[in-house]
Amino acid sequence: MSASASPAAAAAAPSPKRGAISIRGITRIFAGSVPAVDHVDLEIHAGEFFTLLGPSGCGKTTLLRMIAGFETPDEGKILISGRDMEDVPAHKRAVNTVFQSYALFPHLNVEQNIGFGLRMKGVKTPERKKRVDAIMEMLQIGQFATRSAAQLSGGQRQRVALARALVNEPEVVLLDEPLSALDAKLRNELQIELLRMQKRLGMTFIFVTHDQHEALVMSDRIGVMSKGKLEQVGPVLDVYEKPKNVFVAEFLGLSNIWPITSSGAHSAASPIGELSIDAPLNGANMAMIRPEKIWIYNDTAAPKDRANLFFGTVREAIYMGAATQYRIELAGGHSVLAFDTNNQATERSWRPGEKVAVELKPDNIMLISP
Amino acid sequence: MIPRGVRYALSGISWPLYALLYTPLALVAYYSFAPAPNEAGHSLHAYNVLLHDGAAFTALRRSLILAIGSAITSTALGTLLGYGLCRFRSPNAKGVLAHLPSLIIYTPIIMPSLVFGISELIFFNLVHNATGFLSAGLETMIIAHITFQVPYVALTVYARLAGLDPYLFDAANDLYANGLKSFLYLIIPVVQPAIIGGFLLGITLSIDDFTISFFTAGPGSVTLPIYIYGAIARKGISPEINALGTLMIGTIITLALVHFFITRHRDRAGQFAARGNIT
Repeated sequence: MSASASPAAAAAAPSPKRGAISIRGITRIFAGSVPAVDHVDLEIHAGEFFTLLGPSGCGKTTLLRMIAGFETPDEGKILISGRDMEDVPAHKRAVNTVFQSYALFPHLNVEQNIGFGLRMKGVKTPERKKRVDAIMEMLQIGQFATRSAAQLSGGQRQRVALARALVNEPEVVLLDEPLSALDAKLRNELQIELLRMQKRLGMTFIFVTHDQHEALVMSDRIGVMSKGKLEQVGPVLDVYEKPKNVFVAEFLGLSNIWPITSSGAHSAASPIGELSIDAPLNGANMAMIRPEKIWIYNDTAAPKDRANLFFGTVREAIYMGAATQYRIELAGGHSVLAFDTNNQATERSWRPGEKVAVELKPDNIMLISP
Repeated sequence: MIPRGVRYALSGISWPLYALLYTPLALVAYYSFAPAPNEAGHSLHAYNVLLHDGAAFTALRRSLILAIGSAITSTALGTLLGYGLCRFRSPNAKGVLAHLPSLIIYTPIIMPSLVFGISELIFFNLVHNATGFLSAGLETMIIAHITFQVPYVALTVYARLAGLDPYLFDAANDLYANGLKSFLYLIIPVVQPAIIGGFLLGITLSIDDFTISFFTAGPGSVTLPIYIYGAIARKGISPEINALGTLMIGTIITLALVHFFITRHRDRAGQFAARGNIT
């Protein structure tokens, strides 16, 4: 069921850009308030799994709704598959949405819900039934075909909502926090299923979430939003490992962040002491290191010749199963957060009060802006 | 938790209340089986007289035309109004403006029908004197009845729509349905129970109405309530009037039961669904 198998789709956009989205200077201001989306520029590549990540109220859903056509931008342009969407209403866009509340039609059963889009497009019954059956088979919901939406569990409704979008073979699938109402186990299952589906169909998926873990697991690239602006866009690895600023660093996970003043080409003064940093300083004034990048030693066994070695005392040890999170108070009174995988016998992990040394490898320290 | 004593006291009060509500209706039915003149025992005499009373039947026929005609029209208009009020709510309106639509709808409902009827009378007179159209008669009555039924239908439809997931409208739009198609394939089927309810309510209100009909009726457009009023004014409450009352009570109860079973069927489907959802 590849996208190019649909004759209508092939005719609509023969260019390789099918499913690519260009967002140029998009702004949306709701009357009498600060901009919900503020001059956002974004290129989403055809066939990628792109996640818009941010806290609630950051404008990610508004941006998604403008791509779908439910909201009209006050400024800027949106191009889908190279075509300007300015005068294209929602019902004419080759874009389908999976809503947070699923929004399944209460008066229709599962089969009719999934077939609704094709019916509105005027696809005749035999063809429609074939496509609906195929997508139900793919998502394993065939046995619920004649049930009403209200008779389904959360996970089943989710699948129906997804099927209802995918069956139309859209150029872009928009997903507005589709998994947030599900329990953790089901969410993990559906994350994998969504990913598999996206890779198999090759459609562009734009996924909106406030859950950084979900964003990391699923996406090819992430756009981090805050207060209507895109803070950083990039591949998952970059956004997590090399955050641009304090907001992105903190939103994607735990981090140690210190203000620095450079004292040489590769050294800077920080509240915990002099730091060696591999990255070119170029006047940067903040440094960041993720807790899992910090090495912990018994103070007697510490490799004293290494750079960025600091001595301190364990103040907190939070056991989290696979790893333990330590808060280590350094000699100067500042604390460092560090993770250590529990790959030793439990008796050998550190306890509060123990003297330790931490090593911050110079290539693990990232420079960020405030 | 309500204390047991209070619960018993409340149920003790409720029974006399039911008696108060339903005894008059029962009495009407009882007196409709009054004995025929110069005879003893209950009889269907009053029904027989009624059956041969041409004027009563003309009035009934007129009442039905009025009720059905106005209910159909007001259901169509009220559905559109309820839909419009729900769909095109202004999210940024504040204060009185935000409530303007509901004020517009509620005002005719809380307006005393006496005021309503007199204002309709004045309005129709003005129009008639100015244009020659709308002389008092069945057509002015239909217009007046439509006017007072529309808010009820609009409210029922609005309540149903306002209880829906607002993203349903987006979803229909997202799935290639334009405004008209959304209305036909989403709104109409979803609010159908409310539309039927509004229609039945309209019929009931129309058949029941005396005041507004009285002011807007012409000399040749006597409806059942007006006929009954006239009959009572002339010769007091006769067994025929009781028989007519009994028939009307029977019809209304039947309509109410039909409505009840339609909505209960829906509710049960919903409840079943809710239960299925938990497991």
